[in-house]
Amino acid sequence: MKRPITAALAVIGYVIMIVPIIFVVATAFTAGNVLRFPPDGISLRWFDEALGYEPFVEAAISSLELAVLATGLALLIGVPVTLAIHRGKLPGKGLVEGLFLSPLIVPELVVGLALFQQLMIGMDLDNFSTLLVGHTALMLPYAVRVTGASLALADPALEEAARGLGASPLRAFFNVTLPVLRPGIFSAALLSVVTSFNNVPLSLLLQGRDFRTLPVTMLDYVQQSYDPMVAAASTLILAATVVIAVVAERTVGFAKIFGGINQ
Amino acid sequence: MLFAPPDVPTTEIFARLGEMLKDPYDLEVIGRTVGLALAVTIICVVLGFPIAYWLARSPSRWSGVFLAVAIFPLMLSNVVRTFGWLVILGSKGALGQLLVQLGIVDVAPQLLYTKLAIVLGLTQLFLPLAIISCYSAVAQVDPGLDDASRGLGASRIRTMWNVVIPLTMPGIVVAATLVFAGSVTAYTTPYLLGGSSQRMLSTQLFNYASTTLDWASASATALIMTVLVFLISGLSSLIGRKGATS
Repeated sequence: MKRPITAALAVIGYVIMIVPIIFVVATAFTAGNVLRFPPDGISLRWFDEALGYEPFVEAAISSLELAVLATGLALLIGVPVTLAIHRGKLPGKGLVEGLFLSPLIVPELVVGLALFQQLMIGMDLDNFSTLLVGHTALMLPYAVRVTGASLALADPALEEAARGLGASPLRAFFNVTLPVLRPGIFSAALLSVVTSFNNVPLSLLLQGRDFRTLPVTMLDYVQQSYDPMVAAASTLILAATVVIAVVAERTVGFAKIFGGINQ
Repeated sequence: MLFAPPDVPTTEIFARLGEMLKDPYDLEVIGRTVGLALAVTIICVVLGFPIAYWLARSPSRWSGVFLAVAIFPLMLSNVVRTFGWLVILGSKGALGQLLVQLGIVDVAPQLLYTKLAIVLGLTQLFLPLAIISCYSAVAQVDPGLDDASRGLGASRIRTMWNVVIPLTMPGIVVAATLVFAGSVTAYTTPYLLGGSSQRMLSTQLFNYASTTLDWASASATALIMTVLVFLISGLSSLIGRKGATS
């Protein structure tokens, strides 16, 4: 190593990022009853328990429902908005862009509190509708930014050519613009489903007896009992995330997905 | 004041805010939140920048793999990531037992529910964000500039300090802002690793809102959190603008 300081800092950084994840997986396979390291023997019993534990299974289904619906809504609103920002001559374009860039730095717990007060108490909405509103709003910037990043790369002349050759605006959109946008929309959807599924701060104050999300259910469980079932559930989530990440990497590439967010 | 309950008057929230800013316990929570967020921000930049630099400049095929490994945790649930620290730092955890076995201490020390635990957890959470922001900044700087500086006789450290870091400053500022704002508002990590002994603003807010149902205090806490986040994003865009004009 030519750069000893860089190397040392990099090793510390990677240890902090990765080692805890390895420990989660290692303890999930324990045969014992407590979270201990090294684990007492190897077994799959905690995976069985986690998959058979009704609150987790129900919450997982609820979270998935919420994530898919919120993502769908966010795309339905976000894609036309992105088109308007990039292609149209929208007055106040900067303001719109600023509006859709902002939620990533808004304290989600505060948004959750606001939604609770205004929608659940003020307008008497149920948990699910309130969560859906919140998650859709939270996912909008992903849809706008990632779609925008792929749209910026597309040549507007293509669309004009289609129109010039006699295609209707609708046909030009579906046959020319949409195929160009597809990878961006796909990556936005993947990222948005994952982010919504994992969200804690926004969902936290909006839980109800009949609708609870998985991460919040897991948090509550950890607080009550200290057994390896959460490690097993976490390992399953990890496995699913790895699959999604590989799909995302194969189709659009990691750097593009996240590069679109931070720039 | 959208987060205020319809039946609590705004004056009551401001009265509560005034009380909080005098109350030693509430001040401690605010101070702890800002202090820990600052510590995490510094650590994330100090660890994240060299990693980003190395990833962006290394010709090795492995750097792509390491970049993916650094980015992947961003997609992984915070609950899952934080849970790992419970296994490591818990009373029967790996680190405590390791220290005992090595004979460094007789009894495993209290590691969980400490500031250290929160800092480790938040660093794990936000380091990928710092790496990505710095990475895109470093990738935009022409590597020829490094070579030119080295060729003109500057040492590695001097090149880093006088050439690379000033050119990548906007990316570093973005990284610091994201990490600070994230640390101030994070809930899962202070909840699992700090518990009730190391309350931060987020866990305090949840406590007011769901345990004590003290809506005025919850709203006042929300206000403090929001102001902190707006302050840091305002400060960062101010620095960004200055950097652009000078």
